[in-house]
Amino acid sequence: MKKSYGLSVTALLSVSLMLSACGGNNNGGNASPADSSAPASSAPASSAAASESAAPSDNGGSGEKVNLSFWTLFDGGDGANMQALVDEFNKTHPDIQVKNTKLVWGEYYTKLITAVGNGTGPDVGISHTSRLPDLIDQGVVTSYDDVAKDAGVDWSTFNQNLLNATVVDGEHYAVPIDTHPFIMYYNKKLLKDAGLLGEDGKPVLEQSADGFIKFLDALKAKLPAKTTPFALSNSNDDPYRLWWALYSQLGGNDVVADDLKTAAVDADKGAKAADYIQKLYTNGYIKKNDPDFYKNFQSGTAAIMMTGVWATGTWESTKGLDFGAMPIPKIFDQPATWGDSHTIILPTTKANDPAKRKAAAVFANWIADNGQIWAKAGHIPSKPSVLEKEEFKALPYRSDYASVADTVKFSKPSTKVWQIRDNSSFKFLNEVWANKMTPADAMAKMQAETQKILNE
Amino acid sequence: MRMNKLRADVLALLFLLPFLAVYGLFTIWPMIKGVEMTFYKWTLIKKMKYVGWDNYSKMFHDQDVWAAIWHSTIFVILTTPTMIVLAILLAMIANRKSRLQKLYRSVFFLPSVLSVAVASYLGLFIFQPYNGFVNTLLHLIQLLPDNKEIFWLTETNLSWIALTLITLWWTVGFNFILYLSAMQDIPDEIVEAARLDGATDSKIFWNITLPYLTPITKTIAMLQIISSFKVFLQIYIITGGGPLDKTRPIIQLIYQTGFRKNDLGYAATMSYMLFVILLVLSAIQYFVNNRKGANA
Repeated sequence: MKKSYGLSVTALLSVSLMLSACGGNNNGGNASPADSSAPASSAPASSAAASESAAPSDNGGSGEKVNLSFWTLFDGGDGANMQALVDEFNKTHPDIQVKNTKLVWGEYYTKLITAVGNGTGPDVGISHTSRLPDLIDQGVVTSYDDVAKDAGVDWSTFNQNLLNATVVDGEHYAVPIDTHPFIMYYNKKLLKDAGLLGEDGKPVLEQSADGFIKFLDALKAKLPAKTTPFALSNSNDDPYRLWWALYSQLGGNDVVADDLKTAAVDADKGAKAADYIQKLYTNGYIKKNDPDFYKNFQSGTAAIMMTGVWATGTWESTKGLDFGAMPIPKIFDQPATWGDSHTIILPTTKANDPAKRKAAAVFANWIADNGQIWAKAGHIPSKPSVLEKEEFKALPYRSDYASVADTVKFSKPSTKVWQIRDNSSFKFLNEVWANKMTPADAMAKMQAETQKILNE
Repeated sequence: MRMNKLRADVLALLFLLPFLAVYGLFTIWPMIKGVEMTFYKWTLIKKMKYVGWDNYSKMFHDQDVWAAIWHSTIFVILTTPTMIVLAILLAMIANRKSRLQKLYRSVFFLPSVLSVAVASYLGLFIFQPYNGFVNTLLHLIQLLPDNKEIFWLTETNLSWIALTLITLWWTVGFNFILYLSAMQDIPDEIVEAARLDGATDSKIFWNITLPYLTPITKTIAMLQIISSFKVFLQIYIITGGGPLDKTRPIIQLIYQTGFRKNDLGYAATMSYMLFVILLVLSAIQYFVNNRKGANA
């Protein structure tokens, strides 16, 4: 009798021990509305810059004070800039008070989805444009259309390329606040050493497939052997973004068809783009398996590098780095690059309180109007009018690439965008970069895998 | 008499109740709920729809699942025997009477106090190309030409080696302590008697030490197999399951399915398959140990 108790308890215990591995990793699903709200003091006082901007007239009229909870996924410079914006908004809008809760980016979407599912989500949130379709599909975000007009949101004041990527089935689901496209940075000192820096401080580079190779050849020949002509990671995001840019420059139109149900990898164009990039690796322009290509460029040992515009702020704060920024060269037929946007969304809440929703829309629009503060991290503001502001023009580098906003090729509004990217495109393209798979094979595999993901 | 026994049991149960209540609520109930999940399409937010045995039939035809189970198995095969040999070796070194005995003991055990993330990031720095410890060392002693690099983390076979070495270094301490204490339990008289009879060191090792270590070896082997099968974080941090998912273990696949693909129902199904595998392994261990009457 006793023994059997003991046995079953031991059995249960051991069972739970075995399961603990699964259990231990599952805690990402717990929404914790108990906000780890960041110290408001961390924001640099940049209020002076914001005060001039959009007159805080559109408060909604009513004297009631509205409190909004706002979830963000920014850290570093982005986090500080967003906090500065929120502080400034609270100062200029006494009847709307926004509380910024910073979440860790890696867990943000999981937390948002589960919290909204439990009815403990925020009143306002951040989403990438590429995440929107999935959030809409899961009922996590709501449309702005009922409150936009009252809140004074004028959709025509946004960059239409950015805006259109957030419109699904004719409804506005998000207020884009920026775009962060994939661009090119160059080290002016190294380019000068190689004789490739023009009088205007811009690279001497012919914008064509051969021209770019010639440029890299010259860098390789004229710079010391320890210098990397082109700093780029060897896997995942950044080479994928370059591939997406070149694929789009060739006229490739996403890897899914317009019906969002069929995989549509344009094998010829995709293979041509992948082949071009593969040669950048095999011909030694890109350092093989570079453990940290950001550091490589930052420490002044790489002539050019490509990544998202968010790096601008980092390079600026690097002492002794004389750099420039420009759009990705037009290597093929038409200018195009990879990009995504940060947008402000209205998550589904229990009450869906119209007053809160309207206040949130006012807030979102105000953030977009004050993009010059947000641009400090490197992002391109979503409203063309912001580009004309003196504060924006005073920021160096940004104007050199602000035009890219019109040529960002967004992904189609599939709910599977991130899955396709992570589980198909990354996987096979990584093999191409490592020279273990031919570009043509990779395209065939991507087509099959994308279809498999879409069918799930 | 019977009544007394029953009373004692009831009393024992009463004392266990607080624990059982919490245990039931947070462990047993979720396990039952987990079984329910396997029959549904279940997202992070809610139960979507009943799908019957679909998740199961899908799992048995899903190559990714089998590949991931195979990768976990490779990891078990690579780490278990090497772990046992290494732990015995270290225990023998630390068991010798010498002035460095204490130093050995702490040095061998030290890596075990690191958390998995710290150990993995150290591993990453040790094996990364260009400025990693291993490659720099190989350059220094001229084993590797200056213009060559070994890419430990991006070649499938090499990354298995790197993962095994990092795991051994990180976890050998615990098993080393188990062996050390088992060695100290070997009665001195037996060893002395053997020496008087003229037995060499190697004879003593093979005929006395090893047989005395058999019970603890069984336990260690079993614990090692189970914990290696559950491997996740060090692989996730060091290789991310790559290249081309060739080192992705089953738990990583479960994690990705549940939280990246938002498909908790299917992830739960895979979890239960892992559970059954571990249950079978434990049962085998239980019977093997009991048949021989060893008290492991």
